Amino acid sequence: MSKRKKKEMFDTLLYTLPAILLVTVMMYIPFVMSGYYSLTRWNGIAKEAVFIGLENFKTVLSSGGEFTGALVFTIRYTFFFVLFSNVIALFLAVCLTKKFKLANLMRGVFFIPYIMSMTIVGFIWKFIFTQGFARLSAMTGWGVWDLSWLGNPRLAFYAVTMVGVWQSLGFYIVLYIAGLQAVPKDVLEASTVDGANGRQTFFRITLPLLGPSITTCLFMSLTNGLKVFDIILALTKGGPGSSTYSVTLQIYKEAFQNNNYGLGSAESIVYFVIVLVLTQVVLKISSSREVAL
Amino acid sequence: MKRKLISGILVGAMTLSLFAATAMADENEVYMFINQPEYADAITELIDAYAEVAPDVTINYETTQNDYPTLLKAKLNSGEVPDIFASTSGKEIDVYREYSLDLSDQPLAETILPSVASAMASTEEGGGLYGIAIKGNYFGLVYNKGIFDELGLEVPQTVDELTAACEAISEAGYKPFTTGYAEWWVFKHIFQHYLAAAADGAGTTVAELVQQFEKGEARIADLPEIYNNFFDLIDLSLQYGDDKPLETDLSGELAAYGGGTAAMVLGQGAWIEADSLAIDPELQVGFSGYPVTDDPAQCQIISGSDQALHIAKDSEAQQAALDFVNWWYTSDYGMAWFTDVAGVVPPVASDAESEFEVIKQGSALEEEKGSAPLGVCYSTDSWWQKFGELMQDYIAGTADKDATCAAIEENWAAIDGAK
Repeated sequence: MSKRKKKEMFDTLLYTLPAILLVTVMMYIPFVMSGYYSLTRWNGIAKEAVFIGLENFKTVLSSGGEFTGALVFTIRYTFFFVLFSNVIALFLAVCLTKKFKLANLMRGVFFIPYIMSMTIVGFIWKFIFTQGFARLSAMTGWGVWDLSWLGNPRLAFYAVTMVGVWQSLGFYIVLYIAGLQAVPKDVLEASTVDGANGRQTFFRITLPLLGPSITTCLFMSLTNGLKVFDIILALTKGGPGSSTYSVTLQIYKEAFQNNNYGLGSAESIVYFVIVLVLTQVVLKISSSREVAL
Repeated sequence: MKRKLISGILVGAMTLSLFAATAMADENEVYMFINQPEYADAITELIDAYAEVAPDVTINYETTQNDYPTLLKAKLNSGEVPDIFASTSGKEIDVYREYSLDLSDQPLAETILPSVASAMASTEEGGGLYGIAIKGNYFGLVYNKGIFDELGLEVPQTVDELTAACEAISEAGYKPFTTGYAEWWVFKHIFQHYLAAAADGAGTTVAELVQQFEKGEARIADLPEIYNNFFDLIDLSLQYGDDKPLETDLSGELAAYGGGTAAMVLGQGAWIEADSLAIDPELQVGFSGYPVTDDPAQCQIISGSDQALHIAKDSEAQQAALDFVNWWYTSDYGMAWFTDVAGVVPPVASDAESEFEVIKQGSALEEEKGSAPLGVCYSTDSWWQKFGELMQDYIAGTADKDATCAAIEENWAAIDGAK
């Protein structure tokens, strides 16, 4: 028995070794290194980095500057992203689990945006917002097409959020469909027999039993919202002005465009802590409210 | 047993492959890693021509546009310094000076144009020649000569003429301006013309004026060429320009200009000619300075090079790389390459005729009225990017003129002044 256990142990180690090495080289070592660089002043090019202690963290936390602005933007974006992608995805998932002719085709249609790369989605929508809307305006004469969706700082926020939700809907729909199909039929039948109407069945039976799916989707959409980067880069590059800088884009700009690698590293570590706390809290809250059958 | 052996080998192979080493350095192998992929075909042709001159030298040419500085930094930090690499000229020369060779004593220093060479000097050292250019460049106001001729208008040389021209063009049903205000770099190209005029007006040089801004001493309100004329131009271009200014990027400008609806293109230069002609081969391209003041003599174009190719300081293939660039800058083929193959403004003294209108008119104007200094290269792109964002805020209406000026003064000192 113990020999077998040893062998299993050895196999486990052996087979996960490449993955462990990769993750270590690509994730953990750079993480530790950026921890070091966050304590230095370094432009990313010079051969020597100057150690300056906690100076960078002071700059990040004290100034009411770019980092705070980006943080506010990201939190707003994440809030709307989580809200809309979950509500709309759940609604569509309920529709798509109904039996109708084109259900499978429709599922595919909603999933397609998700398999396209974010950058391509960004460019497609950039084209729609600029050229497409101009054409629609000429055809319909409606004022809504004439608004500068990417050029107005207020509208740009909604444009970016909308494209983000549109792109990722398919993924959450699939998760919710899986959850809906796992809801036991007998419970649903029992509620019908007891005289519950459609809405009551949904809110009293289906929704509570979807708990695990909701937790997963909330968690995924939360982290994806907080990590938003490429869609903004492709759509607005953080503009107009600095109105759509997300924290990730801000870190990238600080480290690679402003040549402040040290300050960028400090920003990324501060953000890492914020994300860690935020996701843990949300995960705790939502999983504690799940119900077991 | 066999399966175990196979899986063991596979795991070992996967692990080892993670650490596979890159190719060894060789003194006859030049690794050239630069941006500007638009010249890839021309450079490949140049390298093929060089292969006949020096058959034992291999030049490995690699190019990328997307995110070049980040990729270069990754290479520098991993110790894989390309033998020839690129950056912007001027202020960024010092950023990469640690890695680059001073070319002052090379034969190419004889042929390089002084206006190009001045952008390759180190400001910290106050001299040196730390790079060469693929091309010289012309910056100015590109306009549609056809529209101006049709309306019987001269291209505006003063502020008042510009306003009058806009009214006339607008009345005739054309769009006076197309602006690429979605791009941050459009602003620096416009601004440098007004910066040159402001330096003139303040009785100083652009370099010194920029230093005053970096020290936080200069005030925009003291410089009427910027405070009034530059902001007036922006306002005018919003009044007479694109419907959605902050959504119009370079391709939007090209579409409006090449399509013949817009009379003047802001923030561009020699590089848009070929693409505009691709839209309409009959387009009559005109090129002029910006009407920066009331004095027509100050309406100058800007020439120079805004990018630099560095030769690595500590490389095995240094001699081979030097031979290559010297040949490029001094041989007959190399000097003719700029106009004949690449179709760019030559960065060397040469008599070759270009077939591009911007280049022809640019060099004629330069001879006639002189050219203004290339202001963009005195500051880093980190700053210019911020400048673009501040101007976008102004255009979006989130900041008024005085708030924008204050933000420009503050950020210029903070970003470029600190180190």
